[in-house]
Amino acid sequence: MIEIKDVRKVFNWGRPNEFVAIDGVNLCLHSQSVTVLKGPSGSGKTTLLTLIACMARPTSGRITLMDREITSLPERFLTEIRRRTFGFMFQQFNLIKGLTALENVMLPAYPAGEKHAVLEKRAGELLGLFNLSEKSRAKVEWLSGGEAQRVAIARALINNPSIIIADEPTAHLDTKLSREFMEILLSLARDGKTILIASHDPIVYESDMVERVVEMRDGKIVGE
Amino acid sequence: MRVIEKHRNILDFTLSSLARRKGKNLSLVFVYTFVVFLIASVTFFTHSLKTEAEVILRDAPEMMVQRLVAGRHDLIPMSYMDTIRQIRGVQSVTSRLWGYYFDPTNGANYTLLVKPEEHSTSGTILVGRGVARSVRSKQTGTIPFKTYDGSYLFLRIKEVFTAESELANADLILISEADFKRLFAYPDGYATDLVLHVRNANELPTIATKITHLLPDTRPILREEIVRTYDAVFSWRGGLVIVVLLGVVLAFFILAWEKATGLSAEERREIGILKGLGWETTDVLFMKFWEGAVISLSAFFLGILCAYGHVFFTSSMLFEPALKGWSVIYPDFRLTPVISAYQISTLFFLTVLPYTVATIVPAWRAATVDPDTVMRA
Repeated sequence: MIEIKDVRKVFNWGRPNEFVAIDGVNLCLHSQSVTVLKGPSGSGKTTLLTLIACMARPTSGRITLMDREITSLPERFLTEIRRRTFGFMFQQFNLIKGLTALENVMLPAYPAGEKHAVLEKRAGELLGLFNLSEKSRAKVEWLSGGEAQRVAIARALINNPSIIIADEPTAHLDTKLSREFMEILLSLARDGKTILIASHDPIVYESDMVERVVEMRDGKIVGE
Repeated sequence: MRVIEKHRNILDFTLSSLARRKGKNLSLVFVYTFVVFLIASVTFFTHSLKTEAEVILRDAPEMMVQRLVAGRHDLIPMSYMDTIRQIRGVQSVTSRLWGYYFDPTNGANYTLLVKPEEHSTSGTILVGRGVARSVRSKQTGTIPFKTYDGSYLFLRIKEVFTAESELANADLILISEADFKRLFAYPDGYATDLVLHVRNANELPTIATKITHLLPDTRPILREEIVRTYDAVFSWRGGLVIVVLLGVVLAFFILAWEKATGLSAEERREIGILKGLGWETTDVLFMKFWEGAVISLSAFFLGILCAYGHVFFTSSMLFEPALKGWSVIYPDFRLTPVISAYQISTLFFLTVLPYTVATIVPAWRAATVDPDTVMRA
């Protein structure tokens, strides 16, 4: 369970260009649920995702993950939590060009010190799960949009995380690929993953699999 | 084990990363290798020459005595030998006859030496390979020498020295005493200098002091002084070449610094992705460290290998004129490979370390960015 208590995030604090991205948000997200943060651009969805996923610290307030307060932890521990607990799907996919699909999938697991052969096998299996076995040795820039998206999903799953974070995952996909993506998320939800998505795409927040839609505007929660 | 596997994984990623920017990295390795090659060649060459000179001088007399007139080297009377022999501790004193001869036909200077124990037959000479090359004679032949009065003395080459001794003997001609005196109208009862052997090497300075006291117009020269002079001369020449190369080295460091400090937007983005995916700052630094290490170590070993081949198999054809001396007759020989751990470690610290540090510092700055930057790309 993730609990967010009175969290604020201020950028450029104390400077003329000070900007409040998150303003006193309180939220409780249950394990094995599918939640969508919905709202227009600049509403604070992505910032809230980064705070939950230990990528940044709030200016004030507290976040607890499985009853463990994480806001005051040193960077090293935050990185460890990020690597073990979260799987990320970015808006731009953020695959590293010049590397193969297989290498990209293995990337998040490298610092864990797992045996290379074991890791390679698992990454290969994950790519197989998304029908990408034949493309595993292909460089990611040669892949189509849908294939790149599936590689990004496989990469998010390599460390077997309990929580999947997806930021505008369908922003660069057409309707057909967006629906396929939602199917994949559905199967992950069935496997017991907690899924948290930031999106303003109706295909996402109107999907049957979504259990909860949190609406945001100007850094605040304005409705559910 | 996990630590080793972690580094293996990071190194694996580093190698893939380097392969992605093949052109850029290969050109860097090429320039880097060239710089290491230049510095290592000079270092190997001067060090080997010094060692060679030391080996040759090991058999040289412990002390030479020359006579000075008006501060210039002059012929020494043989009678001085008796005075020197009287000094306690002197084992033997022998006279030497030697001089220089300029051959106008070949434009070369030869060193003529009388060594009765090795050659005493009048009308013939033994020559070094350099001399044989300059007169284009492989084994036999005759060299015309212009004597002091303008007449010619024809001396037949009896033998050419072996290549092993070429560093010292390239321009050397062994001549009989009679021919030597005839060539230069050398007066009887005089020698070019005297050589001494002593019983106890510790007494050399004392004996030298006694000689200058008994024979004030003489100058004793100790073998150690010659060794020191050779050492200084070769080090100076090596230094000279290094100074000339400094421009190249500086240009390389500017290139390396720019490459290392100027992380491209693409590289910064990648570091952001890695951090977002759960890489720690130290993991990114390790990756950058391995990247620098792979480039610099490859260039270092390649440069050392090329320099080794250049110095010991091609006799340093690039630096030969600057490092061996200014002469018409260059010794043509292969140096005995001499490399010390000190040389290698000095080269390592001069080349590998600065590059690796230059790579780490900007990477550290990039690696400390917040991982959430990747979400905002």
